[in-house]
Amino acid sequence: MTSPKNPLVFKIFTECRKTKARTSKIYLPHGEVDAPVFMPVGTQGTMKGLLNEQLYNLEIQIILANTYHLGLKPGREIIEKAGGLHRFMNWNRNLLTDSGGFQMVSLLKLAQITEEGVKFQSLNESKLEILLTPEHSIEIQNSIGADIIMQLDDVVKTTSTDVNRITEAVGRTSRWLDRCLMAHKKADSQSIFPIVQGGLSTELRTKSALEHCSKNVRGYAIGGLSGGESKDDFWKMVHLSTNILPKDKPRYVMGVGFAVDLVVCVALGADMFDCVFPTRTARFGCALIMTGQINLRQKKYQNDFSPIDKECRCSTCETYTRSYLHHIVTMHTVACHLVTVHNLAFQQRLMKTIRVNIKEGTFPDFVRKFMYDVYPDKKYPSWVADSMKAVNIDLIR
Amino acid sequence: MKFSVKTSVKSAPRLGKLYCSNDSPSSFRFQTPMVLLYTRGGSLPHITHEVFKMISKNQEIIQIPLTSTYSFHQAMSQFEGNIASFVGMKDCLSYMTVQDPGELTQSGHHVKDNIPIWTRGGKVMINADKYMDLIENYKPDMYCMLTDSDTNVASLNKRIIKSVDNTIKFYNKCMERHTKSEILKDTFVIASVTGGYSIRERKRCLDAVTSNENVGGYVIDGLHNNGPEVEFIPFDEVKPVVKYVTENLPVDKVRIVQGCWNPLMVLHLVGCGIDIFDTSYCYIVTERSAALTFSLGTDDKLQKFEINLRESQYADDFKPILPNCTCLACTKHTRGYIHHLLAVQELLGPILLTIHNVHHYLRFFEKIRECIKENTLPEYQTKIAKEFREFEKKISSRTSSDTSVIAAES
Ligand SMILES: [Zn+2]
Ligand SMILES: [Zn+2]
Repeated sequence: MTSPKNPLVFKIFTECRKTKARTSKIYLPHGEVDAPVFMPVGTQGTMKGLLNEQLYNLEIQIILANTYHLGLKPGREIIEKAGGLHRFMNWNRNLLTDSGGFQMVSLLKLAQITEEGVKFQSLNESKLEILLTPEHSIEIQNSIGADIIMQLDDVVKTTSTDVNRITEAVGRTSRWLDRCLMAHKKADSQSIFPIVQGGLSTELRTKSALEHCSKNVRGYAIGGLSGGESKDDFWKMVHLSTNILPKDKPRYVMGVGFAVDLVVCVALGADMFDCVFPTRTARFGCALIMTGQINLRQKKYQNDFSPIDKECRCSTCETYTRSYLHHIVTMHTVACHLVTVHNLAFQQRLMKTIRVNIKEGTFPDFVRKFMYDVYPDKKYPSWVADSMKAVNIDLIR
Repeated sequence: MKFSVKTSVKSAPRLGKLYCSNDSPSSFRFQTPMVLLYTRGGSLPHITHEVFKMISKNQEIIQIPLTSTYSFHQAMSQFEGNIASFVGMKDCLSYMTVQDPGELTQSGHHVKDNIPIWTRGGKVMINADKYMDLIENYKPDMYCMLTDSDTNVASLNKRIIKSVDNTIKFYNKCMERHTKSEILKDTFVIASVTGGYSIRERKRCLDAVTSNENVGGYVIDGLHNNGPEVEFIPFDEVKPVVKYVTENLPVDKVRIVQGCWNPLMVLHLVGCGIDIFDTSYCYIVTERSAALTFSLGTDDKLQKFEINLRESQYADDFKPILPNCTCLACTKHTRGYIHHLLAVQELLGPILLTIHNVHHYLRFFEKIRECIKENTLPEYQTKIAKEFREFEKKISSRTSSDTSVIAAES
């Protein structure tokens, strides 16, 4: 099984005795990834104003890129000519690409989904109808050359209650998975993850997860969540999916990046996460700290000569004060870069703390302490209390 | 700080040394002609301290305009430390100026005994006392006195006379405060010589500001109103006035000219005995998505003066910006990648361009010093002149054929 041609080897190291949390390593063509892992999003082949060297300093082992954006610019041809995205951007660690479908449905209001694929009208003056099929998505992703790639899935708005539509989407997602696997030309260097769909319906999610389990794949994504649904629904869908998906393969919950959500999803047995939030919020001067976030634009930081976070060892916190950041935030790009570095360092530190606690058998204690720090009045949101109870952690006690 | 120069010729290329008097003589030393690192809001445009440490091995002096850092004044009055440490660049020395060389300074709005400075929060009137309070607060290693530099080649006589009147008044007041100040006793103070393009007024200013031994050097001001327009000022225009001023400045004091002068102009000014410039030129080049590629050698092979990486020809060009350049952008990335970043307006584009442009510009100054040492400056200047003329031709043909392109880029 660990033949050198296998582009994804998953090894679990420690399993939490109470919850479903586990620490693991994912061995990929561009190095190993310590999981649970947060994967920052570098949409267009670059991480929001950071040099690769800065990402290496932050010990980031895998980043995301968006197929839809890269397919438009620089385009498949240029990326192929450059020898793939790793070489194009000179990034020597791992990459993961999405299928492009989600971006299309969310960015282009006119996108239309048929059995063939996602159809939309191009935004330029040609007004050509463009069709993104499962085959086409994989073709682009093969050119980009990411270490982990996503199947094209049939995305339904998370809050939709149209059972017929969700049923159709689940079936279609499975059929498209087969087409993606058939079209895949680089099976020895890239691994396709199927995406569990099914909206907020227990039956349909179960069906989707079970269908994917029968396929020859090396990991799974849980999709169609984090789109505005209630958190009470969200955690149940994650919980249910991880209960079905095989234990010995990585599970990736798409679109999750808030600290509380990450802690919950890890307890529910998820291994990989991505979200634009930490980098996007940096642009508006929001810096992440363990108990939430601070907005550096606020006047109260004008004469605050402490770093964003005294506990943080990032290059921003080592050199800059809240006061200086307050004065340049949203005014100079440097401020954006500085807060981005800190926010990524924060995500890294959080995930490392999680891994260490799982490894040392103290994860349940960590969860309790973490939630208490975030909600010092112990008024835990129901979804946090319920989800933790489902994995044997009683927060109220 | 102290300056020493080995020459007795008043208006000729010269090699000098700038060092801190209170540190060991070997540390903190800069060789002139040199370039200050231009900052906005206290940071190099697009460059954080972490990146700065990756690209700079030597000590540098950062140039901090008051216009983009005025808003710090309340915080600075409580901050224990100087402006360089406040902006996260404590390993650099700092030089404070009134105006921002990278941005066009709005003309007019004069009020008796005050200078208007245009900050993000709008216009602020600064008089000499207020200015010196700010300087004592910010504690730079070097600063330029308050000055009325609001003149350019088109200025009327009345305005020029007024600018000199004001500058002399400011000089007297600032110098009085400086001499009495305990905080500024080790600070290198620079006086300003204004007078627009009038020799008579330049003389009047020189006579008033060149008698005090405590002045560390002079900035030749009032030649322009800063910003990108400075790039294409021809040497012939400034030559009489710059020659006149350099010939009448004390030979042992450092001479500064600020602004986005093009490299050919820098060579001309070095030829007049100017010692210190700044990297605001790199900033305006970066903002138009261009990379400096002019020659740093004296061989016969001409190079393109600069290349604009937004041009589609670079989309699939996987060579570095400049072959053999040792900067981080050139050793790690390609023209094609940078073209992509610029095309999709990603923040890394200007970062990589700044890294290359500043690197190239610092090497340009190394080359200048080497040429002065070896007496080869005229040959190098001839070559740069050829490359620059080609570039100008290209720019002007583009301006006449398609003005909208330029407008879109500015
Ligand atoms: Zn930090
Ligand atoms: Zn370079």
